[in-house]
Amino acid sequence: MTPLLQAYVLARRAVLSTLRQPSVYLPALFFPLLIAAVNTAAVGRAVDLPEFPHEIDSFLSFLLPATMVQGVMFGAVSSGSDIALDIQDGFFERLLASPVWRPSILVGRLSGGAALGGLQALVFMAVLVPFGAEIEGGVPAVVVLVVVAMVVGIAIGGFTAAIGVRSGQQETVQNMFPLTFILLFLSSAFFPTQLMSGWYREVAERNPLTLMIDPMRRLVVEGFSVGDAAQALFVSGGIAVFSVSLATWQLSRRLARLA
Amino acid sequence: MTTTTAHTPAVTLTLAGRSLTRILRLPAALVPTVAMPLFFLLGFSGSYSSLTELPGFPTDNILSWMAPWAVIQGSAFAGIGASAGVASDLEMGIYDRFVMAPTTRISLLLGPIAAAMARVCLPVTTVLTVALLAGAEVPAGIAGIVMLLVAAEGIAVVGTLWGLSIVYKLRTQRSTSLVQVGIFVTMFLSIGQVPLNVMHEGWLHTVARVNPMTNLLRMARQGFIGNVTWGDTWPGLLVIAVAATAFGWLARRGLRNLTR
Repeated sequence: MTPLLQAYVLARRAVLSTLRQPSVYLPALFFPLLIAAVNTAAVGRAVDLPEFPHEIDSFLSFLLPATMVQGVMFGAVSSGSDIALDIQDGFFERLLASPVWRPSILVGRLSGGAALGGLQALVFMAVLVPFGAEIEGGVPAVVVLVVVAMVVGIAIGGFTAAIGVRSGQQETVQNMFPLTFILLFLSSAFFPTQLMSGWYREVAERNPLTLMIDPMRRLVVEGFSVGDAAQALFVSGGIAVFSVSLATWQLSRRLARLA
Repeated sequence: MTTTTAHTPAVTLTLAGRSLTRILRLPAALVPTVAMPLFFLLGFSGSYSSLTELPGFPTDNILSWMAPWAVIQGSAFAGIGASAGVASDLEMGIYDRFVMAPTTRISLLLGPIAAAMARVCLPVTTVLTVALLAGAEVPAGIAGIVMLLVAAEGIAVVGTLWGLSIVYKLRTQRSTSLVQVGIFVTMFLSIGQVPLNVMHEGWLHTVARVNPMTNLLRMARQGFIGNVTWGDTWPGLLVIAVAATAFGWLARRGLRNLTR
């Protein structure tokens, strides 16, 4: 079996194990949609504020990228959690006893997370567009948004995988969940930074998630531009490279301990 | 029988103390009652500070608006935490021994309630301290703080009884997720973020108008945005009384089924 095929088999296992557990994927779909619906109804009138970006007239369109990223981030926590479970229940050691290509353990799991992230992005767009969200960038923007969602799946999956490999404890990985929510809140995901003030605005403007979500939002509310697509892909890709390197390092350390 | 009844307060306090010890042994239990309310206070105030500029917003201080909401949220989760302790005891079989013990059943309900009421001190002190240091105002003074305390203790009792009614039925720790979702959704589908007159005239406006949490939040928040009035107080007290009675009945029925 070639390394690529091994990675494919493990990715397929990751996707199937998630799809067989509604308690894992349903909250990652339900809560972002609930928050989008509540925020649109509760603070939707904020678009009338003079400082609100004038090109945005629908708060739901404004929230679409944040909803996608939020759902993918929540779902990606399961990548690390499942790796920890594999360690806890002994599957990881059985895998190591086989002549499997070691990086395929991570590649498989993260590819599965990327596939689920892309699927989630499509579901969020399919649900929010009929309720009034408009994607001005058309099909090219949709393609970029799906690809960015997949890369975010890898990026967050990389962080949680690093924690999962290091701790070998599902509970430790799941404690990451509030942190992802906090990081997202401390960005422009739910409100424009122009309307924030003080230290909060400073932090939000420097949050890498803001640098990723802002161009995604422009693809939705303004239209397609190569610059925005490149920025969204570059920032999400950069985070993914960092987190996957972290996960690879942790995997090497665990393999060295077991050797 | 007389002896058993005489020991009820002692048993209640022992069970409450046992529940509170869980916080020391499991610091993660502080996340929903302290860390999350603090995050909601700072996160929502920071993100939505400009909402006070919308016409009809009852205060120009977003911290005064958000602080009571964060306290109520932490207090509700204090109740859920107490019921989660019961769920853990049920799963490990320890609760069977409590049920077999020669004591009144009511003390098994009152123990977690007392623990939740004590746990309320955590979100109240931490959130209020941070909010006041950051610039929140309480125009009604002590009366406003008292109203917030009454609402916080009330929602802790309701949260405990709601949690127990589910936990006694499902008898697993996982069931506390359902309890949390119930509280979380009720909190968000209310006037937590903005008042009714600032919302769009849509589905949330309709839901928030009939959501009992709206009346509880009005009672808790009144002293932070103006004066304390009986008109904003009695609907909140009524909500606490009705919800505690309804969930208390469910919890008691669940406990009775458990002991059969």
